Amino acid sequence: MLKEDLILKNPLRVLSPADQGKTEGPRMGLVMSRAGLGKTAILVQIALDSMLRGNKVLHVSIGQSLEKTKIWYDDIYWDIAKAGNLERAAEIQEELMSQRMIMTFNEESFGVAKLRERLRDLIEQNIFQPDCLLVDGFDCSISPEKVLAQMRDFAKGLNINIWFSAVCHRNDDRVSKSGVPAPCHEADALFDTIILLQPDAEKKCVALNIIKRDGETGGSRPSLTLDPSTLLILEN
Amino acid sequence: MQKDLAKVRNIGISAHIDSGKTTLTERVLFYTDRIHAIHEVRGKDGVGAKMDSMELEKERGITIQSAATYCSWKDHSINIIDTPGHVDFTIEVERALRVLDGAVLILCSVGGVQSQSITVNRQMTRYKVPRVVFINKCDRTGANPERVTTQVREKLGLNAVMMQIPIGLEGDLEGVIDLVKMKAIYFDGDNGEKIREEEIPANLLDDATVKREEMLDAVSMFSDELMEAILEGEPTEKMIKEAIRKGTLALELAPVFMGSAYKNRGVQCLLDAITMYMPNPMDIRNVALDLRNDEQELVLTSKSEDPLVCLAFKLEDGRYGQLTYIRIYQGHLKKGDTIINSRTGKKVKIGRLVRMHADEMEEIDESGAGDIVALFGVDCASGDTFTSSDISYSMSSMHVPNPVISLAIIPVDNKSQGNMSKALNRFTKEDPTFRTYVDHETNETIVSGMGELHLDVYIERMKREYGAEVKVGAPQVAYRETITQRAEFNYSHKKQTGGSGQFGRVGGYMEPLAEGEYEFVDNIVGGVIPREFISSCDKGFRKSLEKGALAEFPVNGVRCVINDGAAHAVDSSDIAFQLAAIGAFKEGYKKANPVLMEPIMKVAVEGPTEFQGGIMGSLNQRRGIIIGTLEEGEYTAVEAEVPLSEMFGYSTVLRSLTQGKAEFTMEFSDYKQVPRNVAENLIEDLRKKKKEQGK
Repeated sequence: MLKEDLILKNPLRVLSPADQGKTEGPRMGLVMSRAGLGKTAILVQIALDSMLRGNKVLHVSIGQSLEKTKIWYDDIYWDIAKAGNLERAAEIQEELMSQRMIMTFNEESFGVAKLRERLRDLIEQNIFQPDCLLVDGFDCSISPEKVLAQMRDFAKGLNINIWFSAVCHRNDDRVSKSGVPAPCHEADALFDTIILLQPDAEKKCVALNIIKRDGETGGSRPSLTLDPSTLLILEN
Repeated sequence: MQKDLAKVRNIGISAHIDSGKTTLTERVLFYTDRIHAIHEVRGKDGVGAKMDSMELEKERGITIQSAATYCSWKDHSINIIDTPGHVDFTIEVERALRVLDGAVLILCSVGGVQSQSITVNRQMTRYKVPRVVFINKCDRTGANPERVTTQVREKLGLNAVMMQIPIGLEGDLEGVIDLVKMKAIYFDGDNGEKIREEEIPANLLDDATVKREEMLDAVSMFSDELMEAILEGEPTEKMIKEAIRKGTLALELAPVFMGSAYKNRGVQCLLDAITMYMPNPMDIRNVALDLRNDEQELVLTSKSEDPLVCLAFKLEDGRYGQLTYIRIYQGHLKKGDTIINSRTGKKVKIGRLVRMHADEMEEIDESGAGDIVALFGVDCASGDTFTSSDISYSMSSMHVPNPVISLAIIPVDNKSQGNMSKALNRFTKEDPTFRTYVDHETNETIVSGMGELHLDVYIERMKREYGAEVKVGAPQVAYRETITQRAEFNYSHKKQTGGSGQFGRVGGYMEPLAEGEYEFVDNIVGGVIPREFISSCDKGFRKSLEKGALAEFPVNGVRCVINDGAAHAVDSSDIAFQLAAIGAFKEGYKKANPVLMEPIMKVAVEGPTEFQGGIMGSLNQRRGIIIGTLEEGEYTAVEAEVPLSEMFGYSTVLRSLTQGKAEFTMEFSDYKQVPRNVAENLIEDLRKKKKEQGK
């Protein structure tokens, strides 16, 4: 398979059917699930898809090491390349790596102000100008609306797409009208796309429940799942 | 010599530069009665630490060559290899790890896990070396052993478990609490040599109890017996220690100890840990290749009565000739024995057998499996295997990286010229990453190695140890050339100069080779090139690889396929086909879109967070690609891939940029294509230089 085919056939295309793979105006997305279901794997696949389309991605990892984050990318890339029988896979991987930068913070060191400062450094010194920002491991436990709104404004100002991952808990049954669980239940209006990962005991897999797509809730949704062994997104 | 192998430990001490390895080794030697006074690394007494035996090491306060020494502690024989911390010398670390059964990973309680510790840890994982962690410098301001333990878990991926907690920290460091025994341990006397065990101070009891539970939780994973004992009541000290040992040997547990070598706190506990938790030679599976049986892998027995197998892992030019450090894996070695070098097949008689103690030695008559000793007057190269005459085994080869930087050196006078050759001969035998050759065009001697500091040290040693004064040229990067597309060739070489002429025609194509340097494929059918001249074509191509047509750098990654040609019954010869192949290569090479490749280094810079922007900017200016950053409180690390050619003089730039508060390490990562504009400038500069040389 060629790189272009891989982009077109990516199951993630269903998230924004309108743009057929082109990057349009800044959007904010959210991937939610209980711990250990595959949020990072989804974010990395979103990042790889964006990089394949020629965009630059800044991956902010909170609480995870640089080495581990790199391993996520390597593993998922090679699983995708193998599954799609991608031609020139090693060469493409090398090209992609120059389009990615990883920033890791420990929990105590991270803050929106700090991230803004770091991004400004990168852009002003012409070191790295991201088109897409991923924030993995962001602590949403205490009313995150204000911080998320700040991040949204900030990303809009820089014309950057932004994706978050957030953990929800089994014992917290608060949920928004559209079905977004706590702690992000009061912030659902801020996001254009929201994916909730839910274990499907019957099919023994993890289903991607697309709660919001392109700012729209409701309506019919394509069915996506995570392959339990490779954690790749599959279209049913 | 200790006969009981269960009581032998071969241990390496590895860590980041300046984390106190040499200071710690000095204390170990003092407490085990090998030395009778302590000298500091940069001490005012000018003696220097025992393990830093080279003059240069004493002056710079860093350890360059791993010196081997041995000591005894509580009935156990411990061989210690002190290894360098700077990444330029990692071949030393790798060699040491190859022959060791276990290692102590030293970390600074303030700096924690730094990039060099990650490199060293990766090397230890490669050679499957069980390790214990010692968090040193707990007396320093900002010491936080708990944070460092978390870093070991997160950054090194080790299951680090604290076996102790400190009693006081920074200036108040008094001793440690042993969580296995649940006792407070103090170190009295002028040099901390008197150990005093007391009850745990009341203010630390709660913390110690919590930490012990955490430790038992982690350790009980390795022993069902211990798990049951914990559920039923109080487990015994013996049970806990056995479980720790089991986990450590399986590389699934890294017990963490702490103290301050400089302030003489905690070193004896580490020695206890080495004897209790580190493997003995019988615990480790060592394999060799049977050269008489198609290099089949076989497991060595560690038994002294079996045929001898030992590995020369380090050479040194001692006062009385070449000193060869060997590790005996199987069998035993006696003074007067004759052994075989399995690489050369030569017989070697053992004249003197010594046990090393830094630069002093102790004569011994024999030595057995598991031991590390040194031989005198044995001519061999580093990495050679010696066996008894009835077998022919070779220890598996060590991973040796290719050099990435070179320098021209010119002796200042005739005397220096002779001394320089002696020195180079010695250094290239000692260190496989240090190489030398003469450039026939410029007649200059070129030395190449793993980094600026690596070559710098050898040039200093040449001067000090051999009295060879040399002028040094600017460092040169080891560029390479390669092709990027398939191209055909069809070249005829004809020469008629009276007498028999020369004729040969070579046709075929060349294409990029993904892995490997060069491949020759013979697809000739119908004998259009006679069989006896096929190897001449190969020879001609190989000659062409030495200097590419683009910028005269060696060519790599080319497959040459011949499928057509012609010969003449009288005029064709070996030389005619070699010249035809050279012509064919030239013809194809131009069409195959050749490019320049340069060594890319993995660079890690660490320093205070406030300088992160500046550090990233400085790497970016050097054509670096920032892979990632790490931020933890006031400390930041930036990881990047930067061309080696851009890294000359970076230490000075970094120093002024960060007020000397940041440091960097680098190691070779890969070869990548030089960007077109940079390559054009480079080729132009080379042309100019050549023109000047021609004048």
